[in-house]
Amino acid sequence: MNENNRIVVGIGDLKTGQAPSVIRTTLGSCIAVCLYDQQKKIGGMLHLMMADSRVAGNRPDMRRAKYADTGIPDLIDDLKNKHNVEVGSLKAKIFGGAKVLKVVTANIGEENEEAARKILKGYNISIVAAKTGGEKGYQVDFSLETGKIQCRIFGQEPEEY
Amino acid sequence: MSETTRLDKMIQLVAEQAIEKSSQVLSKLLKQGAKIELKQVSLMDIALVTEKMNEEDKEVVAAFIGLEGDAPFKFLFSVGMADALQITDLFLGQETGTTIAFDDMTASAVQEVGNILSSAISNVFSQDFQVEMKPTPPEVIQDYLGTLFQQFIMDLAMESDQILIIESKFKIVRSELDCYMYLLPLAGSTEALGMATGMK
Repeated sequence: MNENNRIVVGIGDLKTGQAPSVIRTTLGSCIAVCLYDQQKKIGGMLHLMMADSRVAGNRPDMRRAKYADTGIPDLIDDLKNKHNVEVGSLKAKIFGGAKVLKVVTANIGEENEEAARKILKGYNISIVAAKTGGEKGYQVDFSLETGKIQCRIFGQEPEEY
Repeated sequence: MSETTRLDKMIQLVAEQAIEKSSQVLSKLLKQGAKIELKQVSLMDIALVTEKMNEEDKEVVAAFIGLEGDAPFKFLFSVGMADALQITDLFLGQETGTTIAFDDMTASAVQEVGNILSSAISNVFSQDFQVEMKPTPPEVIQDYLGTLFQQFIMDLAMESDQILIIESKFKIVRSELDCYMYLLPLAGSTEALGMATGMK
């Protein structure tokens, strides 16, 4: 992979781009929502931390990409406004939601996944692949050339989705 | 002096003393000269700091420890996989290269180093600043650095978009080992330390 083509996404952030870029992130309990337009070879990734933005008290300066309910609409808007992509042409893949720390009792990963699925359903965007759960981190490389995602769970062989 | 600068200076002062003490304890433990250097004390954007870590493929072993008390902190000791083996040899007084694969001894060595460092830090808090702190039992995990760092900052990142990170790097004997120590002040700790240091 040419590292110049790599776009890296941090926690609570979203990035969009076009072929031949590869969008990468590393996940624990967070969920990566990857959206792709196969025809235009344009896609984007959201690295969300929590399901519901109401926990931020609707602060005007809140980081919207942290939350599923604000981050997913923003990712779609970014693809529409910056790249002229139609919502109807998008397919989704989701990854992450692991429970890495034993001391954390709440299952944030499951809540994040459930919220992401519900919101995508609201847009009629089908989820064509998903790999979620477990106790180890995920490294995700999303090729905007092919739409394929290489997912490597820590300690396991990489798999393509 | 602005409030942010004052807090940064105070945290830096506490961090420098804690790291100095940790260096001494680690040198004694490993029977080798160990020097821990303060790399940075800075207020960082959560997306930017994790973006940098997510770019790498780095696999690490890390000890997560909570410092509970009047000025709560979270503590993370992380070491690259190869260097975790070297730490194990140093810890067991073996020749470097004896440990060739990650096993229970490696996990124990990392856990023990984490324990010792966090205890040294809590001693500095209580002896030098009269702030009572107690380390929680460590949780040792092997994973991607990006994953572990995100779990480390998760509680604070849920409430804030910026976090104050104290980062330090280790040099043991003449080798620069790929070890890092992070301290993350939790809500209320800067105020408690400000009172204790007279800088608030």
